[in-house]
Amino acid sequence: MKTVTWILRILSTATFAYMCFIVYNQLRGYWDWNSPYVFIVTVYRILSLLLFYLVIIVAQGFEQLVGGGASSSLATALFNTIMLKFWYLQPYGGATPFTDIQQVFLYLNTQLGIIAMDLWDRTFTFLYFLFAGIGVAMFLQSLFRMEHKFVAGAFLSIQAIMIVAAFRGLPIYGQEPIATGFLGFLTSGLQILALVSFAYLEISYQMIYSYSVGKPVEDRQETLKKQLLALRAEVRKQDAIERGEKVAATSTSRLSGGATAFSFLREVIERKLLGSREALENLDAVSDIRRLNIYIDQLLASDPSARDELTARAAAPSSGYVIYSTVLGSIIRFLSVVALSYILVNPLILIELLNLPPGISYSVELQQPEMVVILLVPVLLLLAFIAAMIRWYSQWEEEALQRQIEAEEKRKAREKKREARRLRREARKRRKALERGPEEGEIDEWDRVLGELYQSEGSES
Amino acid sequence: MLTQRGFVVVFGGVLLLSSGFSYQNFYLTLLGIYLLVGLVVTLPLFALTANVAGIEVERTLDKTKVFSGDFVRVRVTIHNRSRRHFDFIEVWDQYPETWILAIGENFMASRIEPGSSITFSYILQVRMRGKYHIGPTEVIMRDRLGLHYYKRTLKAQTEILVYPTWKDVRRMEALGKQRQLGLMFGAHRTRVVGMGTDFAGFRVYVPGDAFRLIDWKTTAKRGKLVVKQFEMEKNIQIMCMVDTSGSMGNGYPENTKLEYAIRAAVLLTYMGLERKDLVGTCVFSDKVHSFVAPALSPSHMYDVLEALALAEPRGWSNFEAAVEYVTKQLNKRTLFIFLTDLEESPAPLLNAMKRVIANGHKAQVISPFGPWFEAPVGQFGPVERVLAEAVQEELWERRSKIARALARFGIDVVNVGPEDFLPVIIKQYNLAKQRGVALY
Repeated sequence: MKTVTWILRILSTATFAYMCFIVYNQLRGYWDWNSPYVFIVTVYRILSLLLFYLVIIVAQGFEQLVGGGASSSLATALFNTIMLKFWYLQPYGGATPFTDIQQVFLYLNTQLGIIAMDLWDRTFTFLYFLFAGIGVAMFLQSLFRMEHKFVAGAFLSIQAIMIVAAFRGLPIYGQEPIATGFLGFLTSGLQILALVSFAYLEISYQMIYSYSVGKPVEDRQETLKKQLLALRAEVRKQDAIERGEKVAATSTSRLSGGATAFSFLREVIERKLLGSREALENLDAVSDIRRLNIYIDQLLASDPSARDELTARAAAPSSGYVIYSTVLGSIIRFLSVVALSYILVNPLILIELLNLPPGISYSVELQQPEMVVILLVPVLLLLAFIAAMIRWYSQWEEEALQRQIEAEEKRKAREKKREARRLRREARKRRKALERGPEEGEIDEWDRVLGELYQSEGSES
Repeated sequence: MLTQRGFVVVFGGVLLLSSGFSYQNFYLTLLGIYLLVGLVVTLPLFALTANVAGIEVERTLDKTKVFSGDFVRVRVTIHNRSRRHFDFIEVWDQYPETWILAIGENFMASRIEPGSSITFSYILQVRMRGKYHIGPTEVIMRDRLGLHYYKRTLKAQTEILVYPTWKDVRRMEALGKQRQLGLMFGAHRTRVVGMGTDFAGFRVYVPGDAFRLIDWKTTAKRGKLVVKQFEMEKNIQIMCMVDTSGSMGNGYPENTKLEYAIRAAVLLTYMGLERKDLVGTCVFSDKVHSFVAPALSPSHMYDVLEALALAEPRGWSNFEAAVEYVTKQLNKRTLFIFLTDLEESPAPLLNAMKRVIANGHKAQVISPFGPWFEAPVGQFGPVERVLAEAVQEELWERRSKIARALARFGIDVVNVGPEDFLPVIIKQYNLAKQRGVALY
């Protein structure tokens, strides 16, 4: 399975790279590499301005309280020297350090609008970088941690760039209506990006499937190995203690830490540690370990398939079948998704098929993207409904089978009872016959012959 | 059913679709459609394949009757009888909560081809006596992409009977080999002087003694007539009356009064069988739940274990009914050992004891004292402690009265706690053997 996973990992990387490349090309000219730095610095400076403003308000309030408004010049001097020079926390935008508060406010009055607009522009560029960064980080995580949430995160982050660009009204794919011809639909740049994005999701999910379908068996093997090792080590340690040898005090804790999945041994060790006040408790714990060890040894010796069953080695799926079903499943899904989507985004095909009146066929609403929803919702519901019907039928079939099995069991039980009754009746008859004693006609043939023989011998003598 | 991942895809699809509509962008609309269609397009196919009717679970245990604390291997085979494959099937085999998973895992996930089967096994340490069921098995089928799942519970269950723990017997055997630990354990034979062939000693002749018993050599040495005495070994018959009323179930799990009583009954039966004494068991509360007549047959121990395994603390103690039932079954002098917490009204108990004595039997009560089995007083706050002590004193007073009343019939009441329950039962058994109570 590892080979299949690696192949899918490479394919996932390729599709992700291609998706990123197309998105990057879509926004060519908007990737200002200084923007993230400038955006962060701007935000920092605006925050510092807020702090600065707060400090001034507080200081002025304090000045009013202490000096009653008489020492405002002193306060200004303090601001000028301490706040602006010593602290040197400059508000946004000034080329040289300000030395007077009034200068600061005057400057801000004239520049605030420009600053805000500049920040607004830079926010979007920053968002492109931010989403790209998150997307790449999540993609890398998905390759190693094999979790769906990272794949979905990487996909949505990259698509979020396109959403933001669409919001900004940048010239990206999708501003022109989709080509009505199937070939044009398939070969358009928009379609290629959409297909590559979908392929990334599909391949990544397949990659996680191929990883997770073989993983439980590998995990089981690993766990069993650890458990057996921990068990043997503990038994050996007990033997050493009984022989009077010194055993490292840390060995128990190391063992329990190494075999975290081994709840049995952990529980026994805890019992030993906590139950040390009672020698018998310790004895029981040691006895449990030994008995388990003996049980395992006997099991492995007596049943050659025991180890394979404990690890469920036979349950590992074959790589060939997984490759075959992955390719086939993906192709079916791809073709059906593309075909259905083509019909949904081109309602004219359906209209031609349904032969609708010209009032509807030539209406402006049909050209609107919202038209898609009118078709999409019923199609989705139809598919879900078909699935529900199949499910309902399967369940009915299953219940019918269950009923049949139960009826069969009842029938067998009835037959068994009838048979038991018959046997009891026969036994009763036999018992009664025995109690009555042998009747004339029921005397055994051999007995009769022997009786006659004795009688004839007696008469001869 | 949609999985969490399925909902993420729905969220992504709706987000892209609504973004496409809002900003008049066909690319976002198309991608939204792709996601939503991709989510449901294979749903009918999955519903068709994920038909659990074709899945059968077969579970086998290497033993169906085990002692508490023993290990048992559970082997689970999943057969795919259908003609469809299951891309991803998760199987959880459930086992009783109190048991411990010793080796392996009770979970398996894989794909399963048509007509094939998957086998996995795990080893459990069985805990707490009683009748248990392994199963049901939970089967979860997922599609390849993990967007949809169907979950079904297959009701196939395997019954297993767990006998009371055998550890006391093992412990006794282990400690019996180490006599320096001071365990009161050994062969206490019941001897009856006057019969038999084993030489027991000498005594002075009294008129009526047979002349052939006079030992002339010793008589010559001592100067007066001395006779030889002989003895023979006798065995005793015991009936262990285990009270399983609701109050016997108080205490920590695995350390209730009933559990100790059952352990004591197991130990007593084992010791009796070892020394050829007849030990029977009666499990009762408001009615007699099971009765195992005293016997020495090879299967006797298992009969007792089975009766004790199924004991559950419930109802109230009807001593009269239990004694009436048991005395009708026994026709030899028997020592009745009652393992009860004496928390019922005294009149029926006294009546029952009278009946025991009137039928020529002997009786003894070994009574677990409730407060000693429950939460230690040290764990309580000051108010609870005072209350607990008051309750304890009252109970003790009540118990003393019962003991005095029973003493009139020559019945001893021995109060026991968790620490001394088993030593007391061994001691009482040995005393009964030495005194020759209820010989047969």
